[in-house]
Amino acid sequence: MKSTHVVFVAGRVARSLRELFWTHLLTAGIMAMTLSVFGGFLLVQDNVRALVRGWSDEIQVFVYLGDGVDPAAGEALRARLAAYPEVKSARYVSKARAWEEFGKTLGSQSGILEGLDPGTLPASVDLELRSGHRSREAVLALVRRLAALEGVQDVEYPETWLEKMRLLMTGIEWLKWVVGGFLFLVAFLIVVGTIKLAIVARQDEIEIMQLVGAPDGLIKAPFVIEGMVQGLIGAGLALALLRAAFSLLTADLLAPFGALIAGEQFVFLSAAQHVHLVLMGWLLGTAGSMLSVKRHLA
Amino acid sequence: MIQLHNVSKLYPPDNTGVRDIGFQVEDGEFVFLCGPSGAGKTTLLRLLFRSEPVTEGQVIVNGRNITRLKGKGLAAFRRRLGLVFQDFKLIPHMNALENVSLAADVTGVSWRQSRRKAFALLSELGLKDRYGALPPALSGGEQQRVAIARALVNDPELVLADEPTGNLDPEMAEETMRLFARIQRRGTTVLIATHDYRLLRRFEGRVLMMRQGRLVGEQYTAGAAASP
Ligand SMILES: Nc1ncnc2c1ncn2[C@@H]1O[C@H](COP(=O)(O)OP(=O)(O)OP(=O)(O)O)[C@@H](O)[C@H]1O
Ligand SMILES: [Mg+2]
Repeated sequence: MKSTHVVFVAGRVARSLRELFWTHLLTAGIMAMTLSVFGGFLLVQDNVRALVRGWSDEIQVFVYLGDGVDPAAGEALRARLAAYPEVKSARYVSKARAWEEFGKTLGSQSGILEGLDPGTLPASVDLELRSGHRSREAVLALVRRLAALEGVQDVEYPETWLEKMRLLMTGIEWLKWVVGGFLFLVAFLIVVGTIKLAIVARQDEIEIMQLVGAPDGLIKAPFVIEGMVQGLIGAGLALALLRAAFSLLTADLLAPFGALIAGEQFVFLSAAQHVHLVLMGWLLGTAGSMLSVKRHLA
Repeated sequence: MIQLHNVSKLYPPDNTGVRDIGFQVEDGEFVFLCGPSGAGKTTLLRLLFRSEPVTEGQVIVNGRNITRLKGKGLAAFRRRLGLVFQDFKLIPHMNALENVSLAADVTGVSWRQSRRKAFALLSELGLKDRYGALPPALSGGEQQRVAIARALVNDPELVLADEPTGNLDPEMAEETMRLFARIQRRGTTVLIATHDYRLLRRFEGRVLMMRQGRLVGEQYTAGAAASP
């Protein structure tokens, strides 16, 4: 494009943004809303993930041993399991120790244990898992292997908890795309409409441009760039909005939960996510305006 | 410069724009298209700058059949024309200078160059002090001259003007017509549609008479007012 054309197009865009200021602002605002909802989902996802990571530190797998396994064999099994790559630590709990700990947890009520056989509770090896191996799938795989070992009677793990977390994460993921996708569609249609307004407002000018032989691209470019600018402004607004909401919420409301997160801090969007949101805004604006130009500028 | 062969433009269901027109215009000629309202003058001009497709026949401008021109080719074709419209077609939010340089800008000449050319033309047309004015603030005659300046800014080989004196007082009309005559003497082909027969016969040129969409006659005017 020649430099005269650049000056020309820039002038057109600036003029249209000024003339239809409120329309453009509204559209950018709606894009900002859409992108901040989407970005909000990303934020929630990241932080829930971090939260889950924090909570998973407490995931334990209990390997209950059969009655025939004596303390020496139990200790041997503990040593063997401790060497598993998934296992951070392993502790052997004999029948006697299990009974003792159980009594302690009951405290003043421990009287109800009197008369019961101290051999009632099974011996176990209690495992803590390493951080990379706490996903539902990894835990299930490990549990299957453990259950197949000789002397192992039963394996217990926080199944419902893992399942709930998995549901929560999938739920957020789905909501992100359903709600986000719906808003994207709405924002897209609004961009198409706004650019149509801009085109209609300049119908006479477009006709004159065509009559003096202006190249097609020169006539259309300003409208497409208008859409791009809208998208970029929308993305900028969305990021500012998210940042503000994030600071406000984490400083106040959610602060007490911060300690539960791995790394002990809420995380804002990463640099890559910033870029993604800006690109999404750009794409939304550009695609919307291109469609509008294609449909409404003959 | 211009050749028309059996050109018809029909507007369905039953309107006739022009019917079975054939004529030829040589390079550098001064031609008037004359006829009463509804004769088809505007329609014929619109066919000449390919604003509409013909229903039948061929339109050849500068050796090129423009009947099926569109897109890039059409834009390039129009950049070599100078068009003056009866309603001026100026962009209201651009000042006189910008309106004129617009036509140069789209050809891709430098910003500076297009402004200089526009300013020189406006000065020549007596608008040296009005170049910064927006069209709504200009009189009809001034707007007319801005429109003419725009038509001339790219040194067109062919000027097509539709009733360019329609809204002007007799003095201004004659002044404007003289300007076209001057342009023609520089070697530009000029085709002017008008129903003002009394005005045109004061200029030297060829007159094509139209009536009800048909070409009904042709004559040459001697011209009395052509030389200032
Ligand atoms: N877009 C159109 N649709 C239908 N009929 C049309 C159209 N344009 C022109 N016509 C018809 O074509 C005929 C010629 O019209 P045109 O505008 O060419 O006349 P003209 O000679 O320019 O008249 P005037 O001196 O009033 O400008 C008229 O009968 C008109 O009704
Ligand atoms: Mg007419």
